[in-house]
Amino acid sequence: MALLEVSGLVKTFGGLTAVSGLSFSVEQGRLVSIIGPNGAGKTTLFNLLTGIYRPTAGRVVFDGNDITGCKPYESGGRGMGRTFQKTTVFRSETVLDNVIIGQSVHLKTGVWGAIARTTGARREEEKVRKKARSVLEFVGLANMEDRPAGSLTEEAQKRLSIAMVLAPDPKLLLLDEPTGGVNLEEIGGLIELVKKIQESGITVCLIEHKMRMVMSMSDRIIVLNYGTNIAEGTPAEVASNKEVIEAYLGARRVA
Amino acid sequence: MKSTFSPARTAWLLALIVAVLLPLFVGGYLTSILLLIAIWAIVAVSLNLLYGYTGQLSLGHSAFLGIGAYACGIIAVKLHLGFWPAFFAAIAISGLFGFLIGIPALKLRGPYFVLVTLGFAAIVGVIVLGWTQLTGGANGLAGVPRPNPIPLPFGRTLRFDSLLAMYYFTLFFLIVIALICHRLVRSLLGRTFVAISHDEDLAESLGINTMQKKLISFTISALFSGVAGALYASYNSVISPDIAYFARGMDVLACLIVGGAGTMAGPIIGTFVMTAIPEALQIVPTLRTLINGFILLIFIIFLPTGIAGGFKALFSRRGHSLRSGVGRNGVA
Repeated sequence: MALLEVSGLVKTFGGLTAVSGLSFSVEQGRLVSIIGPNGAGKTTLFNLLTGIYRPTAGRVVFDGNDITGCKPYESGGRGMGRTFQKTTVFRSETVLDNVIIGQSVHLKTGVWGAIARTTGARREEEKVRKKARSVLEFVGLANMEDRPAGSLTEEAQKRLSIAMVLAPDPKLLLLDEPTGGVNLEEIGGLIELVKKIQESGITVCLIEHKMRMVMSMSDRIIVLNYGTNIAEGTPAEVASNKEVIEAYLGARRVA
Repeated sequence: MKSTFSPARTAWLLALIVAVLLPLFVGGYLTSILLLIAIWAIVAVSLNLLYGYTGQLSLGHSAFLGIGAYACGIIAVKLHLGFWPAFFAAIAISGLFGFLIGIPALKLRGPYFVLVTLGFAAIVGVIVLGWTQLTGGANGLAGVPRPNPIPLPFGRTLRFDSLLAMYYFTLFFLIVIALICHRLVRSLLGRTFVAISHDEDLAESLGINTMQKKLISFTISALFSGVAGALYASYNSVISPDIAYFARGMDVLACLIVGGAGTMAGPIIGTFVMTAIPEALQIVPTLRTLINGFILLIFIIFLPTGIAGGFKALFSRRGHSLRSGVGRNGVA
């Protein structure tokens, strides 16, 4: 069974249809890229999957559970992590604290535990801190844990935002343009990181515009245009698809 | 690890020693002012948890102060239940009101939330003034008792008749509440508060149930303000609608901002400065509001992190641990 199954997803904003009847599925362990021209509904799709928007119609099944219209904070608890197009970290918190906060999904310490500093609370803190360090090591920020997140380069902040959603051990990672706004020379490192995440067994869904990157690393590609998937398949299949070429380059004019 | 005698710890220890010893050497008048500072500082500390660390600006904390004071007064005077049941019931009632108001109010964000808290404070103020049978209306409620003596081992008793005893009683609650807030904020739970204050959407997308966390913070904050109200009622023995007047909530906020929101010492320093300066200069009460407003303005423009925030920046060697918890609801 697929890890993520989307069927007949529709989202309208007033008269505007952002996503119309979108259906696809993502198999466990795959790296799936979602591409499409600007305004095709890629980010809207992510917002629908993570509960930021409520779908107008359709169903989202994740890991066997119907999560259609769940609250944003619930999607994290179910094992779905998501980064944003605009790099989002807590800028005045340290790098380590950011990753600690990222694990709040599984937080068990309550009011009493926090005030009394019970053994349970202290043990959880220790565990969370240890996990944060190991995740920072994984994304390559091990030596930066005490720095405020806002002082990092754009590329390092991208790594940090990935570390934050990676820390609570998600099953599925939704990455919205993980290389957006990053220097060309630094993109390679981020691609390596995404590959490394997939190799560690986490399913990855990627929104990207950089075609060379998408073609080289994706298992499957879903092409969106006007809120619906116009093509789906392996990179080779998609690259030779007529509709895709039309969507990107415009229809061939009849001479 | 921090050494036991970091500058911050030394300063706390010195402040504590001064707070304990000072009333022994000054007269009753100054002690009563110190006592009031301690009471207002409790409100500022509790507002700090909500605004400074969770980013939710409430202008309505006068309501919880009033609810705590009147609940304590009504239960003790009208129901004749004695001080201690009244005291603890008042605290619980304040917390309950915080919880119940928090549920609808915290669904709103930014200025809308601020307006609801302000509206709530105005309503409580009107009820306190208008419900004469229960609250005594404009005449107030007199005869709120001091704490009943607590029996100690060896035939001694802890009495609260004297001003000095009442001062230590209040100081005790200020210390306990400040310590609880310190523990809370440093915990993993507190980090979710701070995360919400920085970016609520990001916090939610990371899997934090922001509504639940904000409600926890709001309830605790209301409960602690209720403690201050109940202490005030017992100390002053007479309570008037003045205690629940909504402008008091803004005075508390002014203290918090001058002292430094999102810092541990801020609310206490701010309350001390904002009370002690007008007192020392013997300023006419009508001018006091004007001068407080002026001081507040100066701070918002030149030192938005407050006195404690300024010190923190000065002392932090790495220069980046300046950790203002003030969120996007920030004033100014």
